[in-house]
Amino acid sequence: MRLSVVAAISHGRMYRPLGLGPRSRLDLLRNLVTALVRHERIEAPWARADEMRGYAERLIEYAKLGDTNERAMRMANFWLTEKDLIHKLFKVLAPRFQPHPGSYTRLLQIPNRDSLDRAKMAVIELKGNPYPPLIRPQRNTEKTLLNQLLKGYREDMQRAATPEAPKGTLV
Amino acid sequence: MAARWAARCLRGGRERRREWRRAGRGGALGVRFMSTPTVSRLTSDEVILMRNELFNKEKERQLSLYPRIEKIEVKYTGKSHPGTVFVMNKALSTPYNCAMHLSEWHCKKSVLALVDGEVWDMYKPLTKSCEIQFLTFKDEDPEEVNKAYWRSCAMIMACVLKRAFKDEYSVNLIKSPEVPVISGAFCYDVILDNRLNDWTPTNVSTITSCLESCRACILVQWFFFNEGEGSVSFFLFVGYKMEMIERKASQNAEGIVTLHRFGDFVDVSEGPHIPRTSFCFQYEITAAHNLQTKQSELIRRFQGVSLPVHLKAYHIVWDKLLERSKRLVSFSGEVQLTKYKDML
Repeated sequence: MRLSVVAAISHGRMYRPLGLGPRSRLDLLRNLVTALVRHERIEAPWARADEMRGYAERLIEYAKLGDTNERAMRMANFWLTEKDLIHKLFKVLAPRFQPHPGSYTRLLQIPNRDSLDRAKMAVIELKGNPYPPLIRPQRNTEKTLLNQLLKGYREDMQRAATPEAPKGTLV
Repeated sequence: MAARWAARCLRGGRERRREWRRAGRGGALGVRFMSTPTVSRLTSDEVILMRNELFNKEKERQLSLYPRIEKIEVKYTGKSHPGTVFVMNKALSTPYNCAMHLSEWHCKKSVLALVDGEVWDMYKPLTKSCEIQFLTFKDEDPEEVNKAYWRSCAMIMACVLKRAFKDEYSVNLIKSPEVPVISGAFCYDVILDNRLNDWTPTNVSTITSCLESCRACILVQWFFFNEGEGSVSFFLFVGYKMEMIERKASQNAEGIVTLHRFGDFVDVSEGPHIPRTSFCFQYEITAAHNLQTKQSELIRRFQGVSLPVHLKAYHIVWDKLLERSKRLVSFSGEVQLTKYKDML
């Protein structure tokens, strides 16, 4: 049996081996979380953004406990490599997300990267960020000329299809 | 294009001068006191020429009201270029000129302009500093644009009807009822010559073919004001048109009536129009119905349907809309028309 094939199959494994090893993976994700807290919207490979999403949301939940909490402060200290962001996390992001019970981030896929690897990319953003929205709501085209003409046509067809009740039957 | 227009003006000028000599002494002044019997002696072509001449003269007169160019500031309140301020000429620059400063896209797509909350034609000169916004066919609420488009199509149909029949048969345009777009067709009420009372058009689309001859020479729709009722009679509108003009003049605070012209055809209507006839892509005159009214003359309602370049329909869909537009469009609130004096 070819061991390489067995090694390649990964059914049911909920573990993404990013980076060079477990420590490298954590460092990678830590950098991404720091960037997300600093810029509130970042572009990254989809796998890394997806992996990072859980860690980011848990960090915000820790931040909601307040900066007097020792565990919250130690978590923030570990996960945010740039120490000025600890202040932003506790003073800006925690109050912003206080009313929400969960799901503080939005993950959207974008076209593959332009370089040779054509990696699947994604944009991850914190909700309530000051940038213009990523998804534009579709315009309501009900009132355009063509749609109004077609609406009139449809109503006429419906009126012709339903049989008219003879007048005087209902009391 | 410029040469074609120039040629028309010259030809019109020469013919007009010949006309005045025929009419006798008085010339331009005599027009003011021309009584209606002389009017009926003129053929429709001469009427058209005279109307155009008067239109041009009135336009020049209005231009000469502002001999020095004054500047006005026009603020753009649309979404695409926030905070833009245009420095335009008073009574010379139009919303179309403002759009030219923005981009070609704005010029092509905008149908009407919203100046200080009021709906304006694209080619109507701006008179004071204001705020401007452009309306297109694909806005969130294109109701005004749709109404203007329907009005313009009705006016084009009126022009076509005037030309479609031979010169010996008179065509009297009454009015274009303000029909909502959802009814499926724009209409124009017309009284044809008495000899055509028994005539029913077998194939109405042949009238549409006259459209091509009208369309070829049309570049742009102009409009302009006309102050006071007295001067409007210059334009030799009679009958229903005069009533409509009087009604509009009484409604307006300064007695100003707006006329629109495209090519040779001058008409009065309820509101603003689309800027160019090239906006209509699919255009078809579909039906002619006889209206039942209390008067002796037979009023016919010609109907048509049209779609702009921005909202083209596939041919199957277009055929279905055509079929629907052949049905008579009737609606509540039709104004009772009083009997008019004489035919032209």
